[in-house]
Formats: sequence, C-alpha cells, structure tokens
Amino acid sequence: MKVGFIGLGIMGRPMALNLLKGGYDVTVWARRAESMAPLLEAGAKGAANSAAVAAACDVVFSMVADAADVEQVALGVGGVAEGAKAGLIYVDMSTIAPAAAQSIAARLAERGVTMLDAPVSGGEVGAINAGLTIMVGGDEAAFETAKPLFACMGKAATLIGGPGAGQVAKACNQILTGVGVMAVAEAFNFARKSGVDAGRVREALLGGFAYSRILENHGQRMLDRNFKPGFKAWMHQKDMNIVMQEAHRLGLMLPSSAATAQLFNALVGSGMGEEDSIAALKLLENLSGE
Amino acid sequence: MTVRVGFVGLGVMGRPMAGHLLAAGHELAVWARRPESAAPLLEAGASFCATPAELASRCEVVISVVTASADVENLALGAGGLIEGFAPGGIHVDMSTIAPGTARKVAASYAERGIGWLDAPVSGGEIGARDATLAIMAGGEADVLERVRPLFAALGKTVVHIGPAGAGQVAKACNQMIMVNAIQACAEAMRLAGAHGVDLARVREALMGGSAGSRVLDVMGDRMARRDFVAGIQSRLHHKDFAILMEEARQLGAPLPVAAQTWQQLNALMAMGGGRDDTASLLKVLEPTGE
Repeated sequence: MKVGFIGLGIMGRPMALNLLKGGYDVTVWARRAESMAPLLEAGAKGAANSAAVAAACDVVFSMVADAADVEQVALGVGGVAEGAKAGLIYVDMSTIAPAAAQSIAARLAERGVTMLDAPVSGGEVGAINAGLTIMVGGDEAAFETAKPLFACMGKAATLIGGPGAGQVAKACNQILTGVGVMAVAEAFNFARKSGVDAGRVREALLGGFAYSRILENHGQRMLDRNFKPGFKAWMHQKDMNIVMQEAHRLGLMLPSSAATAQLFNALVGSGMGEEDSIAALKLLENLSGE
Repeated sequence: MTVRVGFVGLGVMGRPMAGHLLAAGHELAVWARRPESAAPLLEAGASFCATPAELASRCEVVISVVTASADVENLALGAGGLIEGFAPGGIHVDMSTIAPGTARKVAASYAERGIGWLDAPVSGGEIGARDATLAIMAGGEADVLERVRPLFAALGKTVVHIGPAGAGQVAKACNQMIMVNAIQACAEAMRLAGAHGVDLARVREALMGGSAGSRVLDVMGDRMARRDFVAGIQSRLHHKDFAILMEEARQLGAPLPVAAQTWQQLNALMAMGGGRDDTASLLKVLEPTGE
C-alpha cells in the first residue's frame, strides 16, 4: 500500500515520520519546501502538489489548518481529486466543521474518491509518540483499509459513524477539554484567593470523582506556571468557534461552551493566544485581583 | 430637490421606506428578484429595472434593504450587479444589517471606481419604517452622507455619522446586542415574577417608573405579560445578527459573556420552532417544558 501525506506542520511531520517508521512507502507534499526536507531525508518521496501525491498513492492523508485549506487540498487546482486513481481513499485529519467535512466528502464521492474525516486528540506529544486518539467518520470498508496506517500514528482509532461523525466527536472532545481547562483554572483560582494551596487541592481531588486527565496534566502545568504550548490558546479558540457555529446552525443550547469561548476570546485579546490554553489561569487571576 | 433613487429589497421594511421616497417626490426605480413584490410601488408611479446594473445606470443613489451579507455582496459586486451600472459619483446606500467586514469590502471595491458607499443600518423596526421614524447609523465618507441626507429625511428622524465604512454596522451590532440582551433580562424578570405567581403586567408597570424602566421593558415586557408573541421582528433575524456579532467578537478577541448566553437562549428558541415568532418569546425558553 502506497501512502501519501499532505501538510507537514507541527502535527503532520511526526505523523508522516511514524508512517515511514511503520515501513510504508510514503510520498509527501507541503506548501513550504523546508517543511518537506526532514521527511525527504528520512526516506519519503517528494511530490509537486496534492494531485501528484494522489496519483502515486492508494491512501492519502492531510493535516492542515482549516476547512478552506482542506477544500483546496481536496478539490482545488492541483488537488487530490485531480490526480486520484480509481478507489483512492483520502483521509483528512485536520479539525474542521462537521458540515464542511460532509460537503467535501460528498463532492469527492462524485469524483470516485472515498473520504474519511479523522481528526485527532493528543497534541504534538501524541503525534511524536504515536499516541494519538483518532476519531473517524465515513465508510466502514475504507476505515478497515486505513486501520493499519492509523495504528502507526495513534493508539486508538474509532469509527464513530458516517461522513462528518469524526468531526462531531472532535467537537465533543473540544467542549470537554475547553470547559475542563476553564473548570480547573477556576478551581485553582478559587483555592488561591481563599488562601489555600492549589497543589494540595489538586492532589486530594485526584483521588475522587473530580479526577480527570485535565486536572492531572493541565493542573500540574498550572501549578508549575508552565504556559508553553502544548495546545495554543488561539487554536482552542478556533476549535470552540467550530462548536459554537454548529450550535447556531443546529439550534443547540451550549451555555458552558459559550462562556468558555468568551474566555478564549479574552485570552487571545489579551495577547496570550500563543500560550497554552492553561494561560486561562492568568486571565482569571488578573480579573480577580492579586 | 428631486433625486433619481433606486430601491432593492421590498420586504416589510423596504416597501414602506420606498413608498416614503416616492411620496417625498423623488423619482423612484426598483429592482426585485420577484417582480410581483414591486407591484404596489409600480402602481404608485415607480419604474421597474430588469437587473441591478440597469437600476444603477439609471439612478444617482441606490438604497438596499436585504437580509444577509452575501445578499449585499451579490447585489453590489456579483454578475449584473450595481457596480456594473453605476456612473462615477453614484452612491449605494445599504440599510441592511450585515457584517462590518462585508461593508468595508464592498466600499473598497466601489472606491476603486469612484462610486460612493454608505452602510446605514436602522433601528426602529417595521413601525419605524412605516412611520418614517427610523434611527439611522451611517458609516462612510461625510460628503457622501451629505448628498443622501435629503433621502434620509424622508425615512427617519435621526441620522448619526458614526465613522468610516463599516462603522454604521458596528453601531448596529452594538444596538442589537444591547437590545436582545435587554429582552433576555426582561424575559428572566417576567419568568421570576411568573414563577412566584405574581401578575406580570403590574410588575412591569411598577418597574417602568423606576431605574429599571426601558423601551424594551415597555414594549417587550408588555408583549410578554399579554403573551402576544406575534412578530414584530422575527426572532430568527436577531439570531442571525448574533452570529455576526459573536464572530466579530471572536476575530477581535473581545469577550462578550452575557451576549454569549443570550445567543444560546436564541439557539434554544430556534430549536423550539420559535424562529418566526417575536423575540419576546425568549420568555418561553425559560418556562417549564412539561414532561
């Protein structure tokens, strides 16, 4: 099976490297030549554009910034659809709106390309360690074909449902992590303002029903005041925007997500967009007086 | 002074506005996607144009009142759009409620060809349009505004020049945010009174005399007390406006926590099928839903 990878940024580069490590024949393309260099050194082949990647491969992955980029990669001039062989499977692992994923999948299907939406959770560390959680929407047979490839990049790949279902799961993931980070930041700020040691609060709570991965990991980084990303606040803001746009479209009431999205607005507006989402703690401290 | 004025968008707002321009003695031409919507105005003396471009070629000023940002962009810049017909010095006055970014984009395209632009959204609703008492908030060049002031005089009672292109839409977004947040606050107060079993009309009457008195409490509080949810302004339009202003807030990094909650109440109202009812039906979202 020949594998393509388009988009070699912070996430895409280690993911493509892990496919190479898995012994696959990998062809890559990225907008910037310097992004391709580390992959070519590691043994990947370079292609001139997305269409050329598609022409050389059975399964093509993409990992790009937003829906407009996915649209361009899939259906634009020099895109995947132009070069695709019959039966090509195109797997987009970017985080975009479910409605956008469905629309792109439908138009690709008309041109004989089967699309899976397969966004991930786990961040840069998960991408490097092949520890990503992968949420997949689309055709079951295509999912089975791609499964061994997913296994090179992540520890779990789950077929959620039809086209767009992977993005729905990712949106749910962003609700839980976004609201969760804010909840931990609020709890720690509450403890601090009450004159109580937030570290001991965290330690005690880890043993009870308030336990969560976010309390454990993000909570520790808050205590260490380590605001290096991780997951940048502006990216979380972007993902929460997908959630809120879908809520508007569906007629869906998401009060906690709405409050969280506003805190992300404040975070980015205060110049902390490039820091990790946990910088929300600083925002709350600033607003609560020292 | 008679102005050759064009009008696009003959809905509940646009139709009475166009009628006022005609009554004020201006030479009126219209274009409409559905020509039948123009019939009453044609009978009253307006002429009909086949395309927006033709309308622009025959008019000094074209006024539009349509629904969405995409509608305005298409009307102005699309194939057969106004920009193809305007002579240099022509003016497009858009009185729709759209995104400030769209207003700026269209204004820039016009400016390259020497065509003037104003974004001039209004407050006052259907009643204001009918009675020519609209509050008009204008964004664009001051000299362009001066040229259309005689037309505005036939439509509204106040015109404020807010700033450059897009600034009128910013003011309108602020207007929508304050107003719908106030409707939500009013609904919550009415729900609290109702939950206590207290008479809503008397609460409203008492509060109107004090520091909580407001236009929204006056008009919407009355509708809530009488459970009269027939639109006024359909709540789906406020819902649309909130999507615009929340998107702007996101792009600017401005937190709007109360507006964000109001937006969610509007989402719930849409899900309940209340999109064509008055926004006073935000009260219903707060009421027990039964089993």
